[in-house]
Amino acid sequence: MKFGHVFKECLRNEGFPPEWVDSAISYSQLKKCINKLTSELAQVGLDPATLGKLLKHVEDYNASTDQNDDQDRPFEYILSGDDTPGLTKERKPFQPKLLFYVNEATGALHSAKLDAETKRKLQMLAVEMGMTDLRVFEEPDHDSLTSLDSNPDPTSPTNDLPHTNGPRKRPGYRTVEIPLTSDTEFFTKLSTELSGLEALQEKEKQKMHAEIDDLGKQMAKLTDPDRRANKKLLSVWRQIFQLYLEEGVFFGTTETDHTAHDADKAAKRFQEFCNKIAQAGLVDKFKKKENIQALNTFIHINQELLQGLRFGEINRTAMLKILKKFDKQTALGVKAAFPKRIEYPEFSEHLAKAVCAEVTTQVLSHVPQLDDYSCPMCMDLKWRPVRLSCGHVFCIRCLIVMQTNKQHNCPLCREKTVVDANSAENLDLELADFLKKWFPDEVKAKQKYNELMAGIDQYGEVYAEKCTVM
Amino acid sequence: MALPKRIIKETERLMAEPVQGISAIPHEENLRHFDVVIFGPSQSPYEGGVFKAELFLPEDYPMAPPKVRFLTKIYHPNIDRLGRICLDVLKSNWSPALQIRTILLSIQALLGAPNPDDPLANDVAQQWKEDQNKAIATAKEWTEKYAKP
Ligand SMILES: [Zn+2]
Ligand SMILES: [Zn+2]
Repeated sequence: MKFGHVFKECLRNEGFPPEWVDSAISYSQLKKCINKLTSELAQVGLDPATLGKLLKHVEDYNASTDQNDDQDRPFEYILSGDDTPGLTKERKPFQPKLLFYVNEATGALHSAKLDAETKRKLQMLAVEMGMTDLRVFEEPDHDSLTSLDSNPDPTSPTNDLPHTNGPRKRPGYRTVEIPLTSDTEFFTKLSTELSGLEALQEKEKQKMHAEIDDLGKQMAKLTDPDRRANKKLLSVWRQIFQLYLEEGVFFGTTETDHTAHDADKAAKRFQEFCNKIAQAGLVDKFKKKENIQALNTFIHINQELLQGLRFGEINRTAMLKILKKFDKQTALGVKAAFPKRIEYPEFSEHLAKAVCAEVTTQVLSHVPQLDDYSCPMCMDLKWRPVRLSCGHVFCIRCLIVMQTNKQHNCPLCREKTVVDANSAENLDLELADFLKKWFPDEVKAKQKYNELMAGIDQYGEVYAEKCTVM
Repeated sequence: MALPKRIIKETERLMAEPVQGISAIPHEENLRHFDVVIFGPSQSPYEGGVFKAELFLPEDYPMAPPKVRFLTKIYHPNIDRLGRICLDVLKSNWSPALQIRTILLSIQALLGAPNPDDPLANDVAQQWKEDQNKAIATAKEWTEKYAKP
């Protein structure tokens, strides 16, 4: 199936809001521009095969300074006279130009690759253009200054020095511009649409920002550990968010996968997350409407983000495809230069990053995760928490184990802070209160375990057997 | 004694998110005993080799480091004939905050960067220092001979 068709189907069937669909890249219209451009070029005898042999690409400049190459390839295509990326976020209007060089003295166009007919047409064009719109790009201190002065055209911009990305100076040659309009139309349209997509993205971001903010406030209420009614639900929310974090929906969280996911992968991961909470029967544990609503909002925000990711992706593909088509049908070779100029590619990935960061700080943070409060040694909850003078925190059980084993240094920073620690002074009371509040069940379990282990220390293994029987 | 929570957690994570180029699977009858397979790092003389090793978590783990030994014959200045490994984090530089995962990564790195100045296999280290090219060739030979599945 042709891409234009796939793109259209996708825009129609994937449930994007109408406003998004309207902002999408108008692939078929851009295609028409290309067709018009091809006929414009054909009129001067420049079919893709011919032009491909004549055009000197911007990227060739560094590779070769060979004069012969200049003569063999007397054509250049430049996208715009002004291009200083990074200075402003705004896109400069495109003024693409197809230029060729003719010998200043003879008006001749040298290229062995040009057939007689095309050569004649172009020479005619040079003469024609020379009357009205001939532009000479040469430094004023150059030898040919005289010829510049004798230029009869008063509108000719004699001190118009070439810009960074402008055409290259070729001493002794004149630059002639081939009059084309469809390419300007093409690039203006495409860049307007890309700006539109960017604006849309910004708007969506604001919208989601507000949604996340609201949900955050709602979560704060629903998980407030000081309200007794929340006590049971807190652990349900914790499990849900833990599953969410483990799934790494939008970004990988492991050494081997730490990049942003594409829309397909993210959608799969998100589906997996939904399946897991369903399997664990977590939703059923929510008795109250507000909790279910909050979960729905959470899911909704994720779905919006997925959709945004997908939308960005297909538009980016459309952009790349249409540029490829442009190059294939005209041989003007812009695809390599174009995406860099407009900074489009990261589009939806930035959105995902920003939104995920917000979800983490605004929503997930209301439910502290066990992993963030586990002891680096036993990987269980750090109860009771002992803060060493180096600042690292371990559970009291592990401190005792370290001290009995003469592990004098902190396992994390290797500072000699274990040996002097003392459970009474180093106990972090504030953290202890926090843990008791947010992890009541885990605290109880760990407390029991610590007591059991202390008993074993004192009375030996028999104590454990006796205890488990009880 | 029941298996400490830490070992359970480490194992779960090793299974769920394996380290690239390494596999470590616990024995069913002894969950402190792991069958390890390390793939020779690319651009090392061990590239293409599949090296079997065993890893055992002693009773006082993580106060004491895991015990690791190569089962596949390997020509390496820091690994002796019995497969014992000379690696600081397995001995004096062990810290209870290190994990099975980090240790396996260190071993993999050791294959990528042999260190003949801190040898265990003295004869190998000697040859490594005298004629590195020849030693690397031998390591490749051994990889071909013993570490191909
Ligand atoms: Zn601990
Ligand atoms: Zn420390």
